[in-house]
Amino acid sequence: MSETLEIPGLTWRPNGQSVLSGDLLALYRDLDGGFRWLAEQSRALEMDVPPLFPAEALQRIDYFSSFPHLATFACVHADEPENLKAFAREPWNSQGDELRLGTLAPTQNVLTPAACYHVYLDHAGSRLEAPLYVTLCAKCFRRETHYQPLRRQWAFNMREVVCLGKPEEVKAFLARHRMVMQRLASHLDLACEFEHATDPFFNPGASGKHLMQRVDPVKEELVFSHSLAIGSLNYHRSTFGEAFEIQRDGEPVHTGCVAFGMERWLFALVSVHGVLEARKRVSGWLSTPHQVMEGLAH
Amino acid sequence: MVTESQLKEALRSWLSQKNPAVPVETIGDDTPLIDQRLLTSIQVMDLALFLEDLRGEPLDMTRLRAGAFSSINAIWSTFFAGVSA
Repeated sequence: MSETLEIPGLTWRPNGQSVLSGDLLALYRDLDGGFRWLAEQSRALEMDVPPLFPAEALQRIDYFSSFPHLATFACVHADEPENLKAFAREPWNSQGDELRLGTLAPTQNVLTPAACYHVYLDHAGSRLEAPLYVTLCAKCFRRETHYQPLRRQWAFNMREVVCLGKPEEVKAFLARHRMVMQRLASHLDLACEFEHATDPFFNPGASGKHLMQRVDPVKEELVFSHSLAIGSLNYHRSTFGEAFEIQRDGEPVHTGCVAFGMERWLFALVSVHGVLEARKRVSGWLSTPHQVMEGLAH
Repeated sequence: MVTESQLKEALRSWLSQKNPAVPVETIGDDTPLIDQRLLTSIQVMDLALFLEDLRGEPLDMTRLRAGAFSSINAIWSTFFAGVSA
């Protein structure tokens, strides 16, 4: 597909980001409203999270070993006046196309790589007596080798619903949402199939986590038109429960999340229906949302 | 090539070494290794190398599919059964 994508209301910035306006933005908001409605059916707590994420918290899950190629770091200049003056005097390289940074201060933050990490950090040390459901939409940042409008972006929005509980509670949550996602895609006339997937590990041949995901699939992606993952179901077992010391009945909590790539859903909807018809389809779903959930009561 | 009983005892011994708090007699042929955290992502590459040593040749990567390491029996049937002389 072409790198340029002519969609009314979409402005593509070549640094891997989209600007939305008009009907396309309205479609985005309606769609997210639908996902929030789905989360409400699980009585999910809603969170609003900041863009910076502490590197120390990512270290607890070995993020930098697994995904060093994806991280975007929040860097600032060291405060020394001479350092700042030198940069202010000559901020650009000789070609004038790249900043010439001075000495950087120690870096302790990254830009959020995945929405659900905020949930585990926010509940670190918790002792849960019942399953907990949380939903949030976060601007996520993943450095890639190339970008495509709506399909592969440096900055993108991820709506997630997260379950923290016993293994059987998390598995039931994921199974329920697997059916919901299938029904929703069908309801919106999006040709999608679930496929087992692995996370994009750095040097996968040498990664125990990648090998583990192959022999113990814990990730399924909802793939549109045989090519674009627009959502995923992820079972983390007790990885985050152990890393963030979250317990359920005295045991490390198990977690799972349902993720919706917002811009990718927009792409799928608009490529099939166009913007205005897509708005009608999503509005139609929102007017009778229970149709999608029928028989799937929490 | 190892026999089925040799392979299973070798695996039980390897798993016991990796999980000293777990009595070896509790690790059965069908014990779910991943569900019970007897095998984690930290150990799984070591297990692959251990199996290669036992086989005397590299593992067939196409066999590294879902369930391949789920139990001692699964490991036997995936990588050894039907392969041995």
